[in-house]
Amino acid sequence: MNFLDVSGATKSFGAATVLDGVDLGVGQGEFVSLLGPSGCGKTTLLRIVAGLLGVDRGTVKLDGQDITALPPHKRDVGVVFQNYALFPHLTVAENVAFGLKARRRGSTETASAVKRFLELVHLSDFADRSVRALSGGQQQRVAVARALAVRPKLLLLDEPFSALDRKLREGMQIDLRRLLRELGTTSVFVTHDQDEALTMSDRIAVMNKGGIEQLDTPEAIYRKPATAFALEFVGLSSRLSGKVVGTQDGLVTVETSFGRLVAPGNFVSGAPVMLAVRPERITVDRPGDFAVTAKLRDAVFQGAKVQLHFETTGGDQLMAETADLPHGLPAPGSEMKLGWAVADTLIYPVP
Amino acid sequence: MKAAAAARSPWRDPVIWLAVPAIVYLLVLYALPLLWLLTKSFIGPGGFTLRPYIDFFADPFNWRVVWNTLGIALWVTLACLIVGYPAAFALARAGAALQIAMLIAIILPLSIGVVVKAFAWQIVLRRDGVVSQLLVAVGIWDEPQRLLFTEPGLVLGAANIFLPFMILPIYSVVKLIDPRLLEAGATLGAAPLYRFVKIMVPLTLPGVVSGVAFVFSMSVSMYVVPSLLIGDRFQTLSTLTGRSFLFMRNEQLGSTTAVILLAMAVGVVVGSTWLARRLGGST
Ligand SMILES: Nc1ncnc2c1ncn2[C@@H]1O[C@H](COP(=O)(O)OP(=O)(O)OP(=O)(O)O)[C@@H](O)[C@H]1O
Ligand SMILES: [Mg+2]
Repeated sequence: MNFLDVSGATKSFGAATVLDGVDLGVGQGEFVSLLGPSGCGKTTLLRIVAGLLGVDRGTVKLDGQDITALPPHKRDVGVVFQNYALFPHLTVAENVAFGLKARRRGSTETASAVKRFLELVHLSDFADRSVRALSGGQQQRVAVARALAVRPKLLLLDEPFSALDRKLREGMQIDLRRLLRELGTTSVFVTHDQDEALTMSDRIAVMNKGGIEQLDTPEAIYRKPATAFALEFVGLSSRLSGKVVGTQDGLVTVETSFGRLVAPGNFVSGAPVMLAVRPERITVDRPGDFAVTAKLRDAVFQGAKVQLHFETTGGDQLMAETADLPHGLPAPGSEMKLGWAVADTLIYPVP
Repeated sequence: MKAAAAARSPWRDPVIWLAVPAIVYLLVLYALPLLWLLTKSFIGPGGFTLRPYIDFFADPFNWRVVWNTLGIALWVTLACLIVGYPAAFALARAGAALQIAMLIAIILPLSIGVVVKAFAWQIVLRRDGVVSQLLVAVGIWDEPQRLLFTEPGLVLGAANIFLPFMILPIYSVVKLIDPRLLEAGATLGAAPLYRFVKIMVPLTLPGVVSGVAFVFSMSVSMYVVPSLLIGDRFQTLSTLTGRSFLFMRNEQLGSTTAVILLAMAVGVVVGSTWLARRLGGST
C-alpha cells in the first residue's frame, strides 16, 4: 500500500497532452525524485499532487484517502516552490509561522515550532529579518522550514536548488536529505539534474514527454536503464548500433562496426538494436569477455579519473573512464584495446 | 562607515539634479502663489493675525461646510475603493486582449473634461434619468426620483469621475504580486479568505493608500462637480473659496478656506504615506 498513489493522471492544456496517464506510488517516509528534461511535465505532476491544478482523468490518493477533488489547503501537502514564494511582507519567523497560524495552532505551539524549525535550518539568528534581506540559500532554507513547520504528510519540492551555485547546492542537498530523514517526511523532489537525483533519492522516476519511463532505485536506474531514454538521460554511456545476427540461450550476437558483440536479451534475428556500456565498466588494455581495438580521439583529464573518447563511425559513441593509466595520458590517435563483460552490456531496440 | 553614509546621502547623488526643472517650475507656478495665499490669510490690517481663522471656526455654518467637504470626500473615496479594489484585481489578472480593453475603458474617460462629465451626470441623475429608471425597474424605488442636487447623486458622479485614480495605483501593485504567493499560502493550509486577508491585503496596501490619497485629495478639493451636481444649497470648502473670491470679493475668507482645505489634503497625503510605511513595512 503506497502512501501517495497517483494513478492514471492525465492533463492537457488545449491540444497539448502534458501528462499522459501517469502512475506514481511513493511509500511512507520515502524520498522520490522526478527526473526529466525541461517541459516533460514534472512541475505539472507536482501541482496536481498539491491540488494547485486539477486532473482531466486519474486519481490522487494520500494516506489511504482520495484527495483528487480536495482543494490545496485541505490536503496537508507542503510545497517548496522553485522561486521559494516567500511572503515579502513578513519576517523570516513570520513566514515560518504562517501555516501554523492559518491552522489555528496555539501561540505557544506556534512559537516553539518556529524556533525548532529555524534551528533545524540554521536560521535562528535571522528570525526577525525581512526575507528580502536574505541570500538565495537562506531564502531556500526559510521555504523549507515554512513548509515543514506544519508537519505536512507529504512534502513536494520543485527544483529547490536550481538557483544556487554548485558548492552551496551540494551542501544543501546533504542537509535537506538528513533533515527529511530525521523528520520521516515523505517527499517528492523535482529536478533535472541527474547527479542531484542520484545522490539524494531512495527512488527515481525518470520522466519523458508526460510519462514515467522508469521508477526504481538510483543504482538500478544507472545499472539497468529500462529504456534508451533513461540510459541517455542518466549517466554517460558508449552506444553502438548494430543488427542482431544470432540469438541463443538469452544471449544475442550483434554485428557492429567494432565486430560481433554479445549482450544478454531476446531479439529476433535481423532486428536493429543499440548496444550500450557504461564507461567505467570498460577496461583499458585488459580484455573482458571480449575486446575491441579503437583509436583514441580525445583524453579528458578529470582529476580522479580520465575520460577517453574513441573514434567511431555514424552516430556511434565509444567512451571509457579509468582511474589508472600506468603509462600516463595516452596521445590522441593511439590504438587501444578495450574490453568489457557481456553482463555489463545493455541492449535496446531501435525504433 | 562615515564615508559610506555620506556617499549614500541623497545630496551627493548627482541624479538628484534631474529634479531641478520640476522644482523650479513648481516653485514659480505653485509655491509662490501658495505663499501669497498663506500670508493673505494671516495678515490683517494690524499685521499678523489669527482673526480670520477664529472668525471662521466661530461660525456654525462654516463647520457645516467643513463637514460637508470631509463627508463627501469620505463617501467618494469609500465608493471608489469598494468598486476599484476588485476591478484592479480583475484588470491585473485579465488576459492580454481583455486587459487592453479594460485599460482603455479606464483611461479614455480621463481625456474627457470634468465639466463635460458633470453635465452628462446631470442628465443621468434627473428624475427621468437612467439611474432613477433603473432603481424603479429593479423595484428599489416605487416611483422615479431626482438624484440630481442630492448628496448621493454627487457621490455617484464624483466617484465615477475619480475611479481611475483608485484603480490604477492598486492595479500597478497587484500586477507585481507573484500569484504563487497565494498558492504557497494554500499549500500551508490557509483557506481562501485567510489568504486574501493575510497575503493580498497587506501586499496591496501601498496601492490602496496611494489610491485613497489621490481620490480623497481630489474629491476634498473638487469644485466643478459639486457646483454642477448639487449647486449652491450645499457648500464645500472649495465652492466657498470660489464664492469668496468671485462673488463676495472677500479675499481674506477665500484664502483662509483655501489654507484649511490645503491643510486637510496635505494631512491625508502625509498621514496615508506614514500609514503605508507602518503597515506595509515596504516601499
Ligand atoms: N498553464 C499552462 N498552460 C499551457 N501549457 C502549460 C501550462 N503549464 C505547463 N504547460 C506546458 O506543459 C508542459 C510541461 O510543463 P511543466 O512545467 O510541467 O514542465 P517541467 O517538466 O516542470 O519543466 P521544467 O524542468 O522546465 O520546469 C510544457 O510544455 C509547458 O509548456
Ligand atoms: Mg518545472
